[in-house]
Amino acid sequence: MGDNETVICRCEEITLKEIKETIERYQCSAREVKLRTRAGMGPCGGRTCRCMIDRLVEQLGGPSISNEISLSYRPPVRPVSFGVLGGDVK
Amino acid sequence: MNSMRVDNHPVFGSLEKRKNITIYFDDQPYAAYEGDTIASALLASGVRTLRCHEDKGTPRGIYCNIGHCFECRVRVHGQNTVRACLTPVENKMRIESGILATASFKGGKL
Repeated sequence: MGDNETVICRCEEITLKEIKETIERYQCSAREVKLRTRAGMGPCGGRTCRCMIDRLVEQLGGPSISNEISLSYRPPVRPVSFGVLGGDVK
Repeated sequence: MNSMRVDNHPVFGSLEKRKNITIYFDDQPYAAYEGDTIASALLASGVRTLRCHEDKGTPRGIYCNIGHCFECRVRVHGQNTVRACLTPVENKMRIESGILATASFKGGKL
């Protein structure tokens, strides 16, 4: 399986190649990888790819993992529609 | 012909009789039993693709089957992001496999 077929973020379908390129080009932290590639922004909330992105950043010379740079857990824990948030949908 | 259904299981024995109902997935009728989830009912009828990736269009279906990953999300009666793996089927339930986004989410181009 080449880098281009290996999917790291299943929800947004971001491949290993895209993430490696982003890290090598911008030397960025895990959070920046998420902002640049959307990996980790999918409905599963980063459950699948968070650790992989952190490890990749560590291996490819990004800043070492500390709690404020790594991908934090953001609400909502489950996807919620604005209708439900607004209260007019059950 | 429920080819995918395990009718008699070496440990759990045979399936007890349950009410037969029909559900509609993308306007196709499928047979199901009461107590099935949408995902298991469709899988029993051989339907594995529950939706396509909204941006890339690749087929998606059951993955975690416990309600975490949302890969099995479908539209039921016009309500989006319904998890097929957790939602029990009802008679004459209308299920759609969701829409493809016209513009790609990435790159911010409109």
